[in-house]
Amino acid sequence: MDSFLLALAGFSDPYLLGIVILGTLGGVLVGAMPGLSSTMATALLLPFTLSMDPVPAIALLSALYCAGTFGGSITAILVNAPGAPPAAATAFDGYPLAQKGYAGKALGMAAVSSVIGGIFSIIVLIVAAPLLSRLAYNFGPPEYFALALFGLSMLATISGESAIKNLIGGAIGVLIATVGMDFTTGIERFTFGNWELSEGINFIPVMIGLFAGAEFIKQSGKLNEGRVAIALNAVRLPDWAEIKSCFGTIARSCGIGSFIGLLPAEGGTVAAMMGYNEAKRFAKDKSQFGKGDLRGIAGPEAANNAATGAAMVPTLALGIPGSATTAIILGALMAQGLRPGPHLFTEQPTLLYSIFLAMLIANLAFGLFGFFGAKLFARITLIPIQFLWPSVFILSCVGAYALNQSLLDVWTMIFAGLLGFGAQRYGFAAAPIIMGLILGGLVEGTLKQSLIIFDHQWTGFLGRPIVVTLLILTVLSVSLPLISEVRLRRRKAAAA
Amino acid sequence: MTVQQQMKRPAQAGRLPRDLAIGAVVLAFTAVTYWISFDIGEAPAALAQNVQPATFPRMVLAVIASLTVVMMALGLQHKDRARDFPKPVMLMTGALMVAFAIAFEAIGPLAAMTLFCVVMPLIWGAGKSAGLIAYALLFPFAIYMLFGVVLDVNFPPGLIINLLGKLF
Repeated sequence: MDSFLLALAGFSDPYLLGIVILGTLGGVLVGAMPGLSSTMATALLLPFTLSMDPVPAIALLSALYCAGTFGGSITAILVNAPGAPPAAATAFDGYPLAQKGYAGKALGMAAVSSVIGGIFSIIVLIVAAPLLSRLAYNFGPPEYFALALFGLSMLATISGESAIKNLIGGAIGVLIATVGMDFTTGIERFTFGNWELSEGINFIPVMIGLFAGAEFIKQSGKLNEGRVAIALNAVRLPDWAEIKSCFGTIARSCGIGSFIGLLPAEGGTVAAMMGYNEAKRFAKDKSQFGKGDLRGIAGPEAANNAATGAAMVPTLALGIPGSATTAIILGALMAQGLRPGPHLFTEQPTLLYSIFLAMLIANLAFGLFGFFGAKLFARITLIPIQFLWPSVFILSCVGAYALNQSLLDVWTMIFAGLLGFGAQRYGFAAAPIIMGLILGGLVEGTLKQSLIIFDHQWTGFLGRPIVVTLLILTVLSVSLPLISEVRLRRRKAAAA
Repeated sequence: MTVQQQMKRPAQAGRLPRDLAIGAVVLAFTAVTYWISFDIGEAPAALAQNVQPATFPRMVLAVIASLTVVMMALGLQHKDRARDFPKPVMLMTGALMVAFAIAFEAIGPLAAMTLFCVVMPLIWGAGKSAGLIAYALLFPFAIYMLFGVVLDVNFPPGLIINLLGKLF
């Protein structure tokens, strides 16, 4: 209770409150800009936060994360260009509704369902994270190894071109994490005599490169794409009858989003798609879906925002990222010298309560911004792409350099950008590589510790019930998407 | 066929089985990395706790290779989808990214940023305007001040700062 009061008192400081509001504003703006996602913005902002204290640093990133998820819906509705992947499903019904002249209603419903979804997910975070951390107190290296493996296996189920490509991407991330000094023997691996590499490849420039660098090249291929913006004369709140008609959809999506968010590696995009599909499946009259049904906005928006807080649960309680953005927040925690996992709950309770409060404030604030500032935020798409993206690239490079004031980090960022662009062209998404990079050290470290505990008998893993359960879940999460992929390809081949 | 036409030609459209080419690249990468892993030194058994430094990377490489073989096998019965060759502007953007890093080291960050802020928008089709000049002068300076003064980042001095130092 003392920690909660301390955290609450912290927000009476205008600096901290201002940081959260600024993060929220930035998140909505970034989320509204097609191509600029909250993941990328979090990665870009991370170098700035290193000079800050842990509480404002993590509060800023958390606020940006929450608001960025909502911000994507503004341009999805107004210009049919989702600002971020989780908002893609919102465009299905949001844009047709805006075309009919109900842009205000669409934005209002997006704001209401996002705020409800976001606040629901914070409640899930507040309840589930301490419970999970208490359970994780009993975890030893074998359990953590199995958990990290499970987290990596979940990459097979996240959105992307193919489950197997996500797994390969994750494994490549783990391989990148092995560069540098082996922590048990001190022997260098893949450093090619470069002393700067002996501490390993800094994951922050890799993240910035994979998200921002790759997108910079992608955007250069979209220079001639025009967008038809819809005039937004007034933002009108949906009336009570309309909210009531969507209440079931919002409630269902809150559950779906929270469940998806709790799973390691899953994120808002999967939740939003499921939220939309379920909204449509449960609707008695499906005829208006795709033509401007409010439930088609409420479903994905409540789901993707419900996934945000829930994705923080495994991140904070176990140190296993719940999504690509939380992987970056996890990286920020580590860069601040903090150890995510159950010990965080006993060692840094004030920080945790501050994160909860920052996310709560961000949710309320983006609701207000959504109602009153949507018209303004939509204008961000008018910034000429020729000036916006070179600025993003320069920020990426200088941000990467600022971490250690090392040119190697700039080269790492650029190489990651080029590699990320090439990989994405062939269906390899950036998020699995990041997840692998973040979890790689944990997987190797706990595997070595476990083998020492088991006296190098691999069968030792089978003697621990939690490990066995997690390994079974790992096998299932790898094999089920693969089986469905094989069946889908066979069906397609048969149809062709 | 002109270079322009070649650039527009869809690459690999319906010629190779799906994921065969990228799979071959990944397999070649794993083979080369596995070979490089032989350069990793060995630790005494007592220190290595029976897990040599090269063991884990090799295990990961084996996983990558196995998954890649499965991916290639799954794609054998399907033709790869058509992919347009990257547009010239995309290739130039990639090349300018590398050039920026070289310039960052050679002429300093402020000069590199200023040059980039002129060249990049022009390549992306921005007209020569007062807006471009204002952008190229103000944005790099703002970034330099933000990181250099506010965040205390030490940049290599470079061309412009040395010149300003000599002038004032």
